Amino acid sequence: MASSSSRFRRIWQNNIYLWLLFLPCLLYYLIFRYAPMFGLVITFKDYNLFRGVWGSPWVGLKYYRLFLNNPDFWPLMKNTFLLGFYKLVFGFPAPILLALLLNELRKATMKRFVQTVSYLPHFISNVIVASMVIMFLSPSGGLINNMIEWFGFKPINFMNEPGMFRGIYVVSEIWQHIGWETIIYLAALTAVDPQLYEAASIDGASRMRKIWHVTLPGISPAIVITLILNIGQVLEIGFEKVYLMQNPAIYDTADIISTYVYRVGMEQGNFSYGSAIDLFMGIICFIFIYGANWISRRASETSLW
Amino acid sequence: MRKNLKTYAGLALTPILTAALLAACGGNSNNGEPSSGANASPSASPSAAPSSSGSVQEASALPSKTFKALLDNNATFPYSKDWPIWKWIKDKTGVTLDVQTPSGKLSDSLNLAVASNAMPDLMYMPNRQESNKFGQQGALVDILKYVDEMPNLKAWMEKYPDEAKAALSADGKMYMFPNQGFGETNRMIWMYRKDVFDKEGIQVPTTYDELYQALKTLKAKYPDSYPLSIRYGQIPDEMNMNMTVNFGTGEGAYYDFDKKEWRYGPIEDNYKAMVETWKKFYDDGLIPPDFLSLQTKQWQDMMSTGKSFVTIDYISRIDFFNNAMQQENPDFNMQFLPPPAGIPGGKQLNPYFHYLEGGLTVASTSKQIDDIMKYMDFFYSEEGRTLASWGVEGESYEKSGDTLKFLPKYTDITETRKETGLQTSGTYTWIDFDSDLSLFSESLKNAYTEATKYDPPAMQPRPAFTEQENEVISLTGQAIKKHRDESFAKFVTGSRSLSEWDKYVEEMKNLGVDKLLDTYKTAYDRVQKVELNVK
Repeated sequence: MASSSSRFRRIWQNNIYLWLLFLPCLLYYLIFRYAPMFGLVITFKDYNLFRGVWGSPWVGLKYYRLFLNNPDFWPLMKNTFLLGFYKLVFGFPAPILLALLLNELRKATMKRFVQTVSYLPHFISNVIVASMVIMFLSPSGGLINNMIEWFGFKPINFMNEPGMFRGIYVVSEIWQHIGWETIIYLAALTAVDPQLYEAASIDGASRMRKIWHVTLPGISPAIVITLILNIGQVLEIGFEKVYLMQNPAIYDTADIISTYVYRVGMEQGNFSYGSAIDLFMGIICFIFIYGANWISRRASETSLW
Repeated sequence: MRKNLKTYAGLALTPILTAALLAACGGNSNNGEPSSGANASPSASPSAAPSSSGSVQEASALPSKTFKALLDNNATFPYSKDWPIWKWIKDKTGVTLDVQTPSGKLSDSLNLAVASNAMPDLMYMPNRQESNKFGQQGALVDILKYVDEMPNLKAWMEKYPDEAKAALSADGKMYMFPNQGFGETNRMIWMYRKDVFDKEGIQVPTTYDELYQALKTLKAKYPDSYPLSIRYGQIPDEMNMNMTVNFGTGEGAYYDFDKKEWRYGPIEDNYKAMVETWKKFYDDGLIPPDFLSLQTKQWQDMMSTGKSFVTIDYISRIDFFNNAMQQENPDFNMQFLPPPAGIPGGKQLNPYFHYLEGGLTVASTSKQIDDIMKYMDFFYSEEGRTLASWGVEGESYEKSGDTLKFLPKYTDITETRKETGLQTSGTYTWIDFDSDLSLFSESLKNAYTEATKYDPPAMQPRPAFTEQENEVISLTGQAIKKHRDESFAKFVTGSRSLSEWDKYVEEMKNLGVDKLLDTYKTAYDRVQKVELNVK
């Protein structure tokens, strides 16, 4: 016992500066990430602001039952999952492709220009993006439809077609975040050993071959890690943007869990119900991320833990 | 919650500030002293009395009191402690408000104040739902208990029983001070481009059939236009109310004053007639094909550039469009349009929107409840009404005979509010709307006069619900509402055929329309039983 505590002290003393550096991060997680988790207790209570967390009566699993028995439960789940799935399938490879293309550019100025332009949209607020999408796609004077009409076709009522919503959403997401998300891959690309490219050239590899055999394996750990993290977020779709883009005509595809929670939970001040749904989603996300990590650990040597 | 660190810091300070202020009020020996700043008592440190305004002419011997208040803040006329209204109120009541404004959204600040048990004495709540929720949780004072100490409020409630009843909560208590008069600005009306109608020789329509013909004519003359354009996607609830009242039905559960019963509008035949009409508008290109998702900016552009000629919106939009457009196009003339009747022999009606949902509430933890009640009672007196609407004679208005008039330096209602603080959050309950009217343009004044002719017989009852009923409203009610909106959109745009109407009615019933109606009925009956003058 004594030896273990002295060993702990030794670790502490030897690395005191590292610990100090780590401290703000640790505090941040304890205060803002772990402490609020105790608030989850309200999902099992009929939470009442005035009486406080402890004074509110227990209701057990009532709010979970309410959610699962809701007639809209399955459509909401399906919409949420499909939207997240499309975003992952199309949105995930996009920044990798852009990073590869940028990497092949010879002119540094061109590269920098493209990079800057492509990640500017990341800083535009969702409210504005949603508004832009609706206005551009409007059949009464929108930019896109003006072009369609100019080519002699009939205007399309984009925001009225349930079948179009997921596509529009995913494209706008890619446009908004592609530049930002390339940053991590571009960073990974700089770590690829230039000697490997030279060796490949000597062996007579073409450009495509070099990308395939040198570049991609070089950044594959970064790709796998971001993929696992993204899978964990499949159901976490930004609420505002969907909420701002939806209208009753496309509820079939555009009504997702977070917009439902907003209508039922927040507008009516039902904190317990909203939190219960959130916790439920969190558990599903955890299962997803755990599963993805498990598969990745089996199939390759890269994994989160 | 996470983002409001600043609020936490503020809340940590409040007990200290309250203590200091209470201490200041305790030693109340400085009543008679003129102009020494009666509210900034010497015992309080200067930093602890942030709201002490400059010179105070203490005419009466009213004991000076300070209440803490959380008020709403409007971006157009942001709160200022230097507004003359605070001095005027102090002169009449001896009360100074120590005002906090929300650091973000009002409802977030309210939640935080209640949850952290640091409630200011007076709180402005954005709607009855909030105040009833907090009230039933025990955070607010039941005003009815103090009504005997409030002669003016008592008399006022006899004069405005509907407004008073609407302020009741499900347990028959009153947590928010009722109001009257200010809601006038919430009116929604039909309006039209009179200049275009005159130029094309089109009669003012009185029914939807005539409206349809008029829109057809306009569409023929201006093929690029969508003659009728509304902000359905931006304010769907309001639009639904407008559209359904024209057809003698309701947008959800509504009280039929003739039959004296609760009915559910969207499954009635009249509602079907409304859907058919809008489908006809849609099919003939009389409304924009994307009216469901139209942004406010797009709608404004259509209205102002002559792409649309008829609309439904808030009444003040008349001046909004006329003032902006008449400079470059002097002919531009937006005017009040009487609401067309939807069904044969139907009434021409606008929905009853001219009420205000928000109001002041009193914290149950306050130590000065009796004083606050006396203070608030003032606002239900004729004197209080005049002060809240017009200000003070000689300083903001002048009197000629029986009519009041703002001084010539006040020409615009928004500017007046910005300068004086009149009719800003927390300064009124009962308003003489003539004060606002006196500053409006002729067109808008005319619209207000005309609009009252098309008022429904009475305000739709807004019974308050118990927590259990609220759960039905939020869960069953939401599912029904979603299906209603979705089906309306599908029927109008043609992705579902109207021949499936009966099936739709059945679907709605399966979602629990009857359960919803029962909930409304139970809540309504309960409120009806409450006698206003008890206790």
